Amino acid sequence: MARAPRALSRAQLQLNSRASPFPPPLLTVGPPPMEEEQTYLELYLDQCAAQDDLAPPGSPLLSPIVPDDGYIPNTSNSETVFNSHLQEVKGASGHFSSVDLSFLPDELTQESKDQSVIRSKQDIEENCKTQSQQSRLSLPREQDMGLGLINDSTLSKSHSQAYPGDADSVQPSPEKPNSTPLMSITPMTPVTPVSECSGIVPQLQNIVSTVNLACKLDLKKIALHAKNAEYNPKRFAAVIMRIREPRTTALIFSSGKMVCTGAKSEEQSRLAARKYARVVQKLGFPARFLDFKIQNMVGSCDVRFPIRLEGLVLTHQQFSSYEPELFPGLIYRMVKPRIVLLIFVSGKVVLTGAKERSEIYEAFENIYPILKGFKKA
Amino acid sequence: MPGGGQCPDCGSTELVEDSHYSQSQLVCSDCGCVVTEGVLTTTFSDEGNLREVTYSRSTGENDQVSRSQQRGLRRVRDLCRVLQLPSTFEDTAVAYYQQAYRHSGIRAARLQKKEVLVGCCVLITCRQHNWPLTMGTVCALLYADLDVFSGTYMQIVKLLGLDVPSLCLADLVKTYCSSFRLFQASPSVPAKYVEDKEKMLSRTLQLVELADETWLVTGRHPLPVITAATFLAWQSLQPSHRLTCSLARFCKLANVDLPYPASSRLQELLSVLLRMAERLAWLQVLKLDKRSVVKHIGDLLQHRHTLVRKAFRDGTAEMEAGEKELRGRCQGPEQGKEEVASSSLDLPEGKRPASPTPLLPPCMLKPPKRICPPPPVSTVTGDENISDSEIEQYLRTPQEIKDFEKAQAARQAARSVSNPP
Repeated sequence: MARAPRALSRAQLQLNSRASPFPPPLLTVGPPPMEEEQTYLELYLDQCAAQDDLAPPGSPLLSPIVPDDGYIPNTSNSETVFNSHLQEVKGASGHFSSVDLSFLPDELTQESKDQSVIRSKQDIEENCKTQSQQSRLSLPREQDMGLGLINDSTLSKSHSQAYPGDADSVQPSPEKPNSTPLMSITPMTPVTPVSECSGIVPQLQNIVSTVNLACKLDLKKIALHAKNAEYNPKRFAAVIMRIREPRTTALIFSSGKMVCTGAKSEEQSRLAARKYARVVQKLGFPARFLDFKIQNMVGSCDVRFPIRLEGLVLTHQQFSSYEPELFPGLIYRMVKPRIVLLIFVSGKVVLTGAKERSEIYEAFENIYPILKGFKKA
Repeated sequence: MPGGGQCPDCGSTELVEDSHYSQSQLVCSDCGCVVTEGVLTTTFSDEGNLREVTYSRSTGENDQVSRSQQRGLRRVRDLCRVLQLPSTFEDTAVAYYQQAYRHSGIRAARLQKKEVLVGCCVLITCRQHNWPLTMGTVCALLYADLDVFSGTYMQIVKLLGLDVPSLCLADLVKTYCSSFRLFQASPSVPAKYVEDKEKMLSRTLQLVELADETWLVTGRHPLPVITAATFLAWQSLQPSHRLTCSLARFCKLANVDLPYPASSRLQELLSVLLRMAERLAWLQVLKLDKRSVVKHIGDLLQHRHTLVRKAFRDGTAEMEAGEKELRGRCQGPEQGKEEVASSSLDLPEGKRPASPTPLLPPCMLKPPKRICPPPPVSTVTGDENISDSEIEQYLRTPQEIKDFEKAQAARQAARSVSNPP
């Protein structure tokens, strides 16, 4: 078996672009070359020989639909090749039960899983590579374009920054076409160890968006004709309207501008804003739906260990502000991406100020190694 | 300007009108003799009022400074004098105030905010020199609201780009403890309650350090912890006479305000001490509770480093261990056995205290108030069709509109009746 990876041509890589970077599964497109499979397999096993801490075969999150049970150990081996941070992640694998996967499209839990899994994994692999090369400060955006996740161009934009930590949980279903052996075998020499990936995904709690209905509105009439509206001109110069699904609140101004708050995802915010616009339309105004823009996103997560805030403010003085007399949390103003984080002693972190979901994830990935440094007081 | 005068000394007619610190004088340009002296004139003195004028007024440096800024600078100096700060602090605080005043947002701010800004400048100066001044003290002196103070403080720190170090806990302990009126007998303080200042200070410091180590200080207001620590230190120095005194009474005796969270800090500190007492050989047999442990605080503090290590295992290590168990399922039982074995080794049989509690902040030790269920995975695309019926549910029917209008009119009528013009 050759030690050196075989050089695949660009065309071959493109051909295999739909394939996973993991070892060739049993189901392949075209005649499965069993010998090739075996050599690649052995390569993987050799490389992974030093790594311990494999995920338990029984963990449901780590091994979705697997046609051949005997394959599982090998696939988990292969995972560790790319995601050498897996050790770290496995250390936190207790978290997986509470990991928020809602950002991944629902197709993963249904039949057309393999395609999205493949694509997300390709993305993840590229992520990990680029992460290691670029010290994780700016995940490349072009992957968004390449990944057309099923049904959803909008979804892919927000979801394709697939979280390496999460990648492990969407682990390989071996029902993939030909793998891209080169991409998988080539030992990536990370500049920064990939082991810093955290495995925790911040959960979005609130999205604030604005939209222009582009017509002057009679707020009194809206308050009269709509059941879910409140209007108190002495207190505030806008109608406060609420809908049940998605559970959101909107401030509708007489100029035709509207602010929608309370949604848990970008799509929900957009849908809610459209519903409010529809309500206004039904009330007889020529409402349109212009310039929908997400203005702010708030996320939160838990790193599960206590943090010495006094130490953090000492080492990161220029970014942190910790005044226990005023507020129990530390306010960390990250420069890149421009996100404000509220860090509490219990390990809970609130991230706000993002215009894109990826900024929240990036900010958390940036802060996690810093927080881990203060784990052992 | 020669005007017909003669210098008495040299007789020259070259007399020049010159002013010396805004006092106009006729001076001989040959020999420098002062021929006549004008009256010192200022903006508000007249012939009869020969008053001494301060340097700052005579040099005209305040002409460019607006009156409200002058007022603010005066307030800064007054506050520094009230707090008995060194003179260098005064200059720094004044400089900060002037720097802040250069920003238009501050110049246009309300008077209340400018007043609070005075306190902020003094506070920043003290923090930078590690002088323990709390925000509560400043707000009390300025009769200001802590909310307004906090907003202005955060704004000014950001605006001036200042690096403000944290409050120095050790210095605050010394200052705060010294303010307790317990070091001399007085009509209100019985002899048995009087305590030596040095002993109390050192013990309080040790207790505060212990609290800091066991996560009782991070994220909390520092003062209540110090109050609780002072109380415990005072009690433990003569427990036989002082155990009957409560925290509230203690603060009243000492002429110090009791901060509200101090009693819960006291309970937390006592539970930490109890945990430590379980690991001390000669205290294990005693079955201590929160009152009796006070008598042994001296011993506990003496051995606090080893006791904390023994009584509390690292919270994070224990969580990792728990997860390894979840994962591996093979090492778990062994680890558990190991722990039990080690804990039983340093104790006589039959007297095994509870296994070490994790060293975590109290907020992590309490069970969560409500378990947040993970949000359901939503398949919303944002572009779905919105059914008419869904929108209709939010609209009032014409009948409902009429009823609503009637009800509103009735309410208006009732209101105007009840408020006769």
